Amino acid sequence: MVRPSSAARLRRRARLREVWSEFASQRSGLVGLVLLLVIVVLALLAPLLVPIERLDVTRVTAPSNAAPSGGHWLGTDPQGRDVLAVLLWGSRASLLVGFAATAVSMVLGTVVGMAAGHFRGLWQGVILRFVDFFLVVPSLMLAIVLSSVLSRGLGTIILAIGVTSWAQTARIVRAQTLTIESRPYIERSIALGAGDVHVLGRHVLPSVMPLVLANTTLAVGSAIIAESTLSFLGLGDPTTFSWGSMLKSALDTGAATAGYWWYVLPPGLAIVVVVLCFTLVGRALESVLNPTLRSR
Amino acid sequence: MSESTHDGPALAWRDVTITYATGVVAVDGVDLVVPRGATIGVAGESGSGKSTLVMAALRLLPRDARLEGTVELDGEDVGAMTFGRLRAVRWTSAAIVFQGAMHSLNPVRTVERQVAEALELHRDEQYPDAAARRARVLELLGLVDLPASTAGAYPHELSGGQKQRVMIALALACDPDVIIADEPTTALDVVVQAQVLRVLSGLVADRGLTLVMISHDLAVLAAVCERIVVMRDGRVVEEGLSREVLTDPQHEHTRELAAAFPVIGDESARYTVGHDRERILPTTAPALAPAERDDPGRDTADSARDRHTQGVGGAVLAVRDLVVDFRSRGRAVRAVDHVSLECAPGEIVALVGQSGSGKTTLARSILGLQRPTSGEVLFEGEPMPRDRAGLRAYRRRIQFVLQDPSASLNPKHTVYEAVAEGLRIHRLEREGVDEAARVAQALEQAELTPTERYATSLPSQLSGGQRQRVVIAGALALEPSYLVADEPVASLDASVRGEILALLLRLRRDLGLGALVITHDLGLAWNVADRVLVMHQGRIVEDGPVEEVLLDPQHDYTRSLLEVVPSRLGSHA
Amino acid sequence: MSVAPVDPAAVAAADELPRGPSLGRYLALRAGGSLISLVMVVVVGFFAFRILPGDPAITLTRGRQVSPEEVERLRQELGLDDALPVQFWHYLLDLLRGDLGTSYVYRRPVSELVLEHLGPTLLLTGTAALLSVVLGLWLGQKAAWRRGTWFDKIHTGLALTFWSVPTFWLGLLLLLVFGGGLGWFPTAGMETAGSDASGLAHVLDVAHHLVLPVVTMVAVVYAQYLMVMRASVLEEMHEDYLTTARAKGLREDLVRTRHAVPNALLPTTTLIFLTIGFLVAGAVTVEAVFSWPGLGYLAYQGLNAPDLPLLQGTFVVFSAAVIVMNLVADLVYRLIDPRLKAA
Repeated sequence: MVRPSSAARLRRRARLREVWSEFASQRSGLVGLVLLLVIVVLALLAPLLVPIERLDVTRVTAPSNAAPSGGHWLGTDPQGRDVLAVLLWGSRASLLVGFAATAVSMVLGTVVGMAAGHFRGLWQGVILRFVDFFLVVPSLMLAIVLSSVLSRGLGTIILAIGVTSWAQTARIVRAQTLTIESRPYIERSIALGAGDVHVLGRHVLPSVMPLVLANTTLAVGSAIIAESTLSFLGLGDPTTFSWGSMLKSALDTGAATAGYWWYVLPPGLAIVVVVLCFTLVGRALESVLNPTLRSR
Repeated sequence: MSESTHDGPALAWRDVTITYATGVVAVDGVDLVVPRGATIGVAGESGSGKSTLVMAALRLLPRDARLEGTVELDGEDVGAMTFGRLRAVRWTSAAIVFQGAMHSLNPVRTVERQVAEALELHRDEQYPDAAARRARVLELLGLVDLPASTAGAYPHELSGGQKQRVMIALALACDPDVIIADEPTTALDVVVQAQVLRVLSGLVADRGLTLVMISHDLAVLAAVCERIVVMRDGRVVEEGLSREVLTDPQHEHTRELAAAFPVIGDESARYTVGHDRERILPTTAPALAPAERDDPGRDTADSARDRHTQGVGGAVLAVRDLVVDFRSRGRAVRAVDHVSLECAPGEIVALVGQSGSGKTTLARSILGLQRPTSGEVLFEGEPMPRDRAGLRAYRRRIQFVLQDPSASLNPKHTVYEAVAEGLRIHRLEREGVDEAARVAQALEQAELTPTERYATSLPSQLSGGQRQRVVIAGALALEPSYLVADEPVASLDASVRGEILALLLRLRRDLGLGALVITHDLGLAWNVADRVLVMHQGRIVEDGPVEEVLLDPQHDYTRSLLEVVPSRLGSHA
Repeated sequence: MSVAPVDPAAVAAADELPRGPSLGRYLALRAGGSLISLVMVVVVGFFAFRILPGDPAITLTRGRQVSPEEVERLRQELGLDDALPVQFWHYLLDLLRGDLGTSYVYRRPVSELVLEHLGPTLLLTGTAALLSVVLGLWLGQKAAWRRGTWFDKIHTGLALTFWSVPTFWLGLLLLLVFGGGLGWFPTAGMETAGSDASGLAHVLDVAHHLVLPVVTMVAVVYAQYLMVMRASVLEEMHEDYLTTARAKGLREDLVRTRHAVPNALLPTTTLIFLTIGFLVAGAVTVEAVFSWPGLGYLAYQGLNAPDLPLLQGTFVVFSAAVIVMNLVADLVYRLIDPRLKAA
């Protein structure tokens, strides 16, 4: 007799190994992943590496806007804080917003996308109009409106980015749902007696997940950029450090125009590197999980 | 029209071996000479290397393919040509009729532009301006019986048959000596296939062209070509005059290919399919008297009439005055038009029709996948339920086998999961069914043994025939009383076709399981069915025992269908 | 050998054509959908500022020294003491008359301000969009055709890097280097303050101001187009009709430009129009950085003041513009893709 559960587990493990080895064969994706892991570990370790007291303006002893030196590798900011320390602490908020906003947007996008692809008739019409609205309305404008009326804070930023960026995911998930549901094996499943829950749970969701996963990594990058943009526009949380708020204060205090490059370059470069890493990982994952895209 | 002075063969492959970068040897030491004016058919299943072979004639192989040996076109080594020479030879010495029903025409350019492009490239002194080229395009369209208005059409505005004829016109544009036709009628309906073949063979005969035609269908090749070459796994296994290859095949593989297109009326092909050519008859079929089974030719007509008068009492499945309308872009389309039919337990009924006849819609309505406009479906004497729970219970008793087994299995589910899916949907474990035992039993019934080996495979690791067996096992796991099979072998290779049909016959013999088999293929009906229903424009136009309907058709439509069966196509020569 | 003739009626029955929806019906559907989106924009534009938690008058005055009397005056100005439906009704009626309220900061009707600032935004985004499309599509198809080569690697690498750059930061850097540092280009505005140049001199002055903002926007936007076009061309590379074209004897570059690219352009067009909202985001940040006197700059000011009617007005105008552009894009797409033309 066959014991399918253990066989399935073995197969899943084999499949994971296969995905990993294919992923690892793409150098750019691997480089991105390693860099990301380093950055995430640094962000997690920030409280140990740099005690938060060193960022307390009242206790700072260094001069403001000092150029990089042995004591301060990246110089100091207008309040005299060590730029490297602020950068390290800023990574926590930037990554948190990136991951959390993406989670909101992915869950919303997947659920709405699957519903829009699966159900027919009136419900489909209503859902589609809803998706269409969020697709066409400029998401930055909507995020500006949302975060300007809600109270300032990380939560608001996360919500504003998450709620305005899910429509693209929903569009992709819907397309994939439609493709899957047009396959004969869905017809076979229905002919066997399957209902909505079985079709969505056993057939559609597993085939949508790889796509969503690859999309997630790409979306984290966009969310980090969106966070910095909202901060730059003055909608960030004034009480926490993020790369966006660093750039904002560089602009507000005139550090940018005064030529204090050590306060303008590092946060921006940090954003570029992290976003690029997420993009590289996302593209590598996409090509592994979605073989039709392999040639890309 | 020939410009060459060479009088050797028009086309020759000399000890050609073609290997792909993946290590697959697609063509393995093939020697083939096509004399000027000859018509040669290359037969083989998918993966036999036949397409790779002919693509090499114009050096159109993918970049990762490596060719050994030589291919000579008009005595000139194609492999040694410069790119400029090659481009000049392409379409002028030899042109290809691709499978036009698919994607071989550029979707965003008009027919005229696509044909004129070849003229611009190769015949600019003969047709120097747009007007001359236009005249030539219209002349070519006339040759393939297409109206002049086709010139301005985009491919999507043409039907499959029209696109295929455009492909032929395109191939003739520069008056090549050699025409290579790559599966020119696959994916076309039989009637349309006959028309395209008539156009093609007429042109080849009138103009004395050299033709190399590829097909998986021996009968189609025999209708157009003098000689047939049979390929398998990259090698030529048989070569000879068409008639001889078709009627007296020497190689085992040729026999398999030939058996896929049985001659209707050939007694030895009744209930006889597959490798062992064993006649598989039912042992217990309430609708058939034992005497008739031994000699299916005798008296079946009478017994069929008797059965008709029996009424619903004896029928496992009955359809009463069923109508299905579609609303398509504001127009009502009647797909099924007042259809009534009955299937007895253990009876194999073939529902035959062309594409668009409504046969698939009828099948979907029977399974409750399509809501009928009016009329009813009775199963074991009870009307099909319309509510969710009732429909679910109903779908446990009647099972569906779909056309394309590769597509009807979730590629991510193992064979075990695919077979157990029905059991899980109906939560049969609650009824005390041992899932693993039932799956093993179903796999065994579908002849997928040893079951342990198959249970953990993914569909991608199986052949087409094995996949279809998995689909059938999934149906058997629920122990249904009747099967509905929609074109169960249409997408399978010829050699596998027999296996699956034999399985259907054995299931009937061993389990008493009958089936409604939907097909476009009259040969299939002749192979396995007890009774045949002919469907045309949503109506059943003829209904009776196979021998009666296929040997003595009453309706004009049945007769015209029988006319275009490939095995009869060439017989009017 | 010959094949028997076939009954034409049977052929006609078996060889039927697929039919598409009619153009009229499609038009009506799309236009209706856009109208619903517009209504939703208006509704969101109104309720977002009123129904979400908190008193708009307090939210708007947050971070400023205001007396309770000022807050009360603001409440009356906003009509916040009326019932919500009444407020919405007034808002709708005003909107239909083209009245978007009065800006606090400018003390002028928002609609006037919007009209004034429309031109510069169109100039900036139009120029940037045109350049990005041309650059992105051209490089994209080239990279796809030569995939795996250095050309492909360098250009996809560059595109991915630019795509990862926050627009405003790139703007800041360009401003620092080419505006502040090297002094090659002006750092703010659309024309030199106080100059009364006209004619060609004026055009050149504006063009001089335009360079840095346009370069910033193009750098971020072209990357998307490049990736989309590259993917579309790669998608077409294995299509059978390209084999037909090669078999006809076409040169490789003709196979690409006559057959692959026109087909790849169609899906690309849709995706390009779907990302029009991206241009709006670019306009807001770039105009904020370069003080370009456009709608985005107006929105930025509305945000910083904060100036509720201004913010609400720019939101409605921007969203409506994108919705209308999408509708136009849909119709254009219908016209350029023969497969979708009315049967």
